[in-house]
Amino acid sequence: MPYNLTAAVERQEDLGAGYHLLTLAAPEIAREIRAGQFVMIGLTDIDQMLIRRPFSVALVSPGPDGGEPASIGLLYKVIGRGTTLFSRLQPGDRLALLGPLGRGFWLPDPALEAGGGDETELLLVAGGIGNAIFPLLLQELGPRAARTTLFFGGRGRADLTLLDWFEAHAGRVVTATEDGSHGQRGFVTAPLAAHLDADPGRRRLVMACGPHAMLRAVAELCLARGVPCQVAMEETMACGFGVCLGCVVEKREPESDFDRFVRVCTEGPVFDAREIVL
Amino acid sequence: MSAGVKLEVAVGGGLTLRNPVLTASGTFGYGLEFEPYLDLNRLGGVVVKGISPRPRAGNPPPRLVETPSGMLNAIGLQNVGVDRFLEEKLPALRERGVATVVNVYGQCEEDLLHVVEKLAPESGVAAVELNLSCPNVKEGGLELGRSPRAIESITRDARAITRQPLWVKLTPNVSSIAETALAAEAGGADAVSLINTLVGMVIDVERRRPVLHRGSGGLSGPAIRPVAIAMVHQVYRAVKIPIVGMGGIVNARDVVEFLLAGARAVQVGTANFNDPGVAMRIVGDLAAWCAAHGIADVNELVGAVKGNQA
Repeated sequence: MPYNLTAAVERQEDLGAGYHLLTLAAPEIAREIRAGQFVMIGLTDIDQMLIRRPFSVALVSPGPDGGEPASIGLLYKVIGRGTTLFSRLQPGDRLALLGPLGRGFWLPDPALEAGGGDETELLLVAGGIGNAIFPLLLQELGPRAARTTLFFGGRGRADLTLLDWFEAHAGRVVTATEDGSHGQRGFVTAPLAAHLDADPGRRRLVMACGPHAMLRAVAELCLARGVPCQVAMEETMACGFGVCLGCVVEKREPESDFDRFVRVCTEGPVFDAREIVL
Repeated sequence: MSAGVKLEVAVGGGLTLRNPVLTASGTFGYGLEFEPYLDLNRLGGVVVKGISPRPRAGNPPPRLVETPSGMLNAIGLQNVGVDRFLEEKLPALRERGVATVVNVYGQCEEDLLHVVEKLAPESGVAAVELNLSCPNVKEGGLELGRSPRAIESITRDARAITRQPLWVKLTPNVSSIAETALAAEAGGADAVSLINTLVGMVIDVERRRPVLHRGSGGLSGPAIRPVAIAMVHQVYRAVKIPIVGMGGIVNARDVVEFLLAGARAVQVGTANFNDPGVAMRIVGDLAAWCAAHGIADVNELVGAVKGNQA
């Protein structure tokens, strides 16, 4: 069940190029949140922010005495009014917080995972700030994180935030930038396609988060090759818990005319790429 | 300390609410979605999402955009339809004992009356709220709710087929809301609720297209509160039936403002999206406000605004 509470800011780190990492003291949420789920955050004064914003939880960290997770870290890019206001928050300031919300990523059925070398290969695909969803997944994967590959794309090197962290925690990081300032020049889908085609028989699961055009391209690549693919969607939403009906996306195969849409906040934000129109 | 304040309000048709704070249609789902965050029984009542004769898928996205102190939406009345509402939602609400007001929507008068008729024999319906924002085919496609004549006739038709308390929800997109309120009263409405959303549009200047897929949408939130207050007061001076006021309420102070303007009860809308527990908190804060101001009965506030009222 989601918690509706206020939480204190612990840290606000400016990562450069408009990217920030905001750490909040929220033990209840830190303990329960799963990779791909999200929180709604807002200023405590509704007159300053009428609609809360959905944020992925990038990572969780233990309290000062170690042990259980006690804080959540939100990685975001300053884009509009909301993120500008969030970027001014200082330690001790309080935020309104609702979560954990939505359906996160899911792993392949362990029954399908035969021993040793036959493990499903996990491929993570991040575009720009879409990387915010993956640190928590790598944290959850434990030792298996070292056997994942992250395909990480951005306009330039400055968009590859937390790159050092990912290089330390993922098995391998393959980068692509549109300006060629890091890794291969171009879109991240090129190295992903090359990887999928290099060993087409391998059982894989692709998990993607990033701009809509990237998700569409990744989903097409995967569907064409029969590779299971999960996409984490982002849409404007007012509530985050299923009632405003603002954040819908179209179903690929509706059961009836009345069943054309699903809510990103509740049925998602992570969908099987086969479920929705991208 | 605030325990002694009388909060019960009579809102017409023999219906008394335990307090004046309801939640507005379209902002509270079917009520049950809010159970993790508040006790439904602490509210004056809930008004459920507009129910139509058949399920509705709603509009394609984008459906929603934030505006200065407000929100613009074009959801398109996505709902489960009256049959599923009666099977799944109403029994659960009935079990909880919360005053349930059913907002009714139809694409034409016949549709609307069909839903009223289906609700008529059901127990656990505290009131029926008619949403007259559908196009009125007979009068050239104008919204049904913009024509006093159409309002009076449909209210009278609905009155004839149900004994449940009947509320008519009024649109602010008219030249005289006092006239449409009088028409609802003449047709036999037990109360009027106002205001529905104001028509608005936001254009993406880079793409030179409206942000919402449908083009225009309904504006809600604190941005519309002064408009709502003025309209509630106009209607208060025009009609004798109780008024249920709404438009941008976010706290108990706002509730008091609506009561002073003439509302007997209020509906909290957009604020439910920001904080799913807000409606219950407002009930507590309202009692505390009354106690702190020496108000023994919340009804003392109704219409009690002083000074120039033009």
